[in-house]
Amino acid sequence: MTKTAAKLFIFSTFALSSFFVHSADIQLEITGVKSAQGKLYIQLFNGEENYNQGNAELATITKAKPGNASLTFQDVDNGEYALRFYHDENNNGKLDSNLFGMPTEGYGFSNNALPNFGPAKYQEMKFQISDGDIKLSSKIIY
Amino acid sequence: MMNRRHFIKNLSMVAGSSLAMAPNMQALAKIVEPTPPLSSKAQFARSLKKNPGLIGFANITENFALTGLTIEGRMPDDLSGTFYRIGPAGHERGDLRYQHLFEGDGMLHSFHFSGGKIFHQGKFINTPKFAKEKQAGKFIYSGPDTKISGARAVHHADEINSSNTNVISVGDKLWTLWEAGSPMQVNPQTLDSSHWVNLGQNSPFEQSLKGMPFSAHPKVDPGGDIFNFGLNGNGQAVLYHLSANGRMKNAAVVNAGYRGMLHDFLITHKHILLILPSLSPNGAGKGFFQRTRFEKEQPMRVLVIDKAELTIKKGYQLPPGFAFHFGNAWEERDGTIHFDASLYPDDSSLHNLSAVMKGQVNKHTSRSQTVLYTLKAKGGFTQQYIDGDSEFPKVYDHLVGHRNRLLYTTGHKHNPLWADSIRKLNTDTGAVDEYYYGEDYLVEEHVITTNKADEGSGYLLGTALHLPSKRTCINLFQADNLSQGPIMRAWLPYHIPLGFHGNFQRS
Repeated sequence: MTKTAAKLFIFSTFALSSFFVHSADIQLEITGVKSAQGKLYIQLFNGEENYNQGNAELATITKAKPGNASLTFQDVDNGEYALRFYHDENNNGKLDSNLFGMPTEGYGFSNNALPNFGPAKYQEMKFQISDGDIKLSSKIIY
Repeated sequence: MMNRRHFIKNLSMVAGSSLAMAPNMQALAKIVEPTPPLSSKAQFARSLKKNPGLIGFANITENFALTGLTIEGRMPDDLSGTFYRIGPAGHERGDLRYQHLFEGDGMLHSFHFSGGKIFHQGKFINTPKFAKEKQAGKFIYSGPDTKISGARAVHHADEINSSNTNVISVGDKLWTLWEAGSPMQVNPQTLDSSHWVNLGQNSPFEQSLKGMPFSAHPKVDPGGDIFNFGLNGNGQAVLYHLSANGRMKNAAVVNAGYRGMLHDFLITHKHILLILPSLSPNGAGKGFFQRTRFEKEQPMRVLVIDKAELTIKKGYQLPPGFAFHFGNAWEERDGTIHFDASLYPDDSSLHNLSAVMKGQVNKHTSRSQTVLYTLKAKGGFTQQYIDGDSEFPKVYDHLVGHRNRLLYTTGHKHNPLWADSIRKLNTDTGAVDEYYYGEDYLVEEHVITTNKADEGSGYLLGTALHLPSKRTCINLFQADNLSQGPIMRAWLPYHIPLGFHGNFQRS
């Protein structure tokens, strides 16, 4: 009995430590929000393939306010991730674009990855979660 | 709170296209490593000492304060208003000189005619690019051809919009124009820049036209409505129909299937003509203008687009050719369309505007000549080459899209660098009335101004750079008699850089 209890304890300790060590919180600060109109939509991707296919791991919405906005993705498993976000100023639930497909509302990426005569590159927005919480800050592009 | 799965789906729908740059911006990005920057600036400075004509391409650093001109000849009583013209003036910052004439920061000039006097002022268009780079004391963005070491990322075209190509009056404002981005709204009196025009604002198009390319050659029909196009690097073109006060009436995207450079277009009373020269991007890693190449096997195509619907109705294929500019188009009742082009046989004129930035003036440049085209209603065409060379074609405002007989152009007689003459061509009879300024002058675009809807009435006026005295003069001609020479010439005490386009706004 004691032996069994000890085994269980060891197992559960391992399981708990696994849970705590191999997941983390991502705290994101979005800077440069220009108005209180509408909402900020934020999307977290696990790996390049999911990013390219638009398959988000987690997503959240927060009310826009001028200046900075903070939000947290909790209990994210270890791995490689990328974040992108946009400011839905007119509250229509999407990032508006002009007739040639260029965004007409604010948007941004983790690591402050920037589009440059073309889309922002995944390799510039990716970051790693490994055994600890992280804080990120990205400026919104209008 | 929104259902997470639904939210992710929504985001995914916009992820594929909306966060991607438009292809025209991707096309601009393929920039070759430049000649070391110092050498371009040094080469130009060295050449300028030997060739005074290059002063028109020299860098300008300061605005021109209001200055009175010295008038020779007779100022007509029936002429008051302001001649606006624009061109690149900021070619250099720090040790760097731009690689192509089309890259420089735009400067707007006004020549105000009133009470027998003329006053000039010139002001840089205060684009965000200009303001940031002025503050930094150096170029911080790469241009279409010029690669800047450590350049800032470019998110959209207006970040590098130099607003340097044309200026038109829209309502009680001026719009200064580039061709890959938005118009800049400018105060007509102070020449102070205000903001990028959001083309769809206060119309059903709202934000959907924000930042779209708006070419530098809008056409104003005799009723006042404004038509224009913008080209995307993926072969699409957007077409615009605006009211005289700038409110968007209609806009639509058509697939032009064209990836070359397109500077100008035409309208008839019923149609828009997109005339697509024999140009294609050719040369990975080169700058935008560098890789724009003449394709001698590629027909020059004409797309005929319904003005009311903004849809393509038919197309024509013409022999290979290249034109920066077209004068006018008009249409007969049976659908036969007539138009003219200042046609080049190749692309050397485009690339020599890069050579001149390094001070190279002796490269061979093919000349353009007026070609009159007729597109038959049931297909087929005819073309007629007019002797002599021509550029910057102009017709009377009241005949835009309607039958014109007179076509005003500039031309080269002897000067290889820039125009030295002006011409009036009667396209019905072939009669020519021209004036040669002489070897001391570099002649810029001349525009028509009249207070009558009468072809041949009023005046032709334009600026010219007088090389011996290093001064710019403005010249006024009777529009029906160019060969008698200017009836009035007014002198600035300095020169202004050679520019591109403008218009006279009567008051």
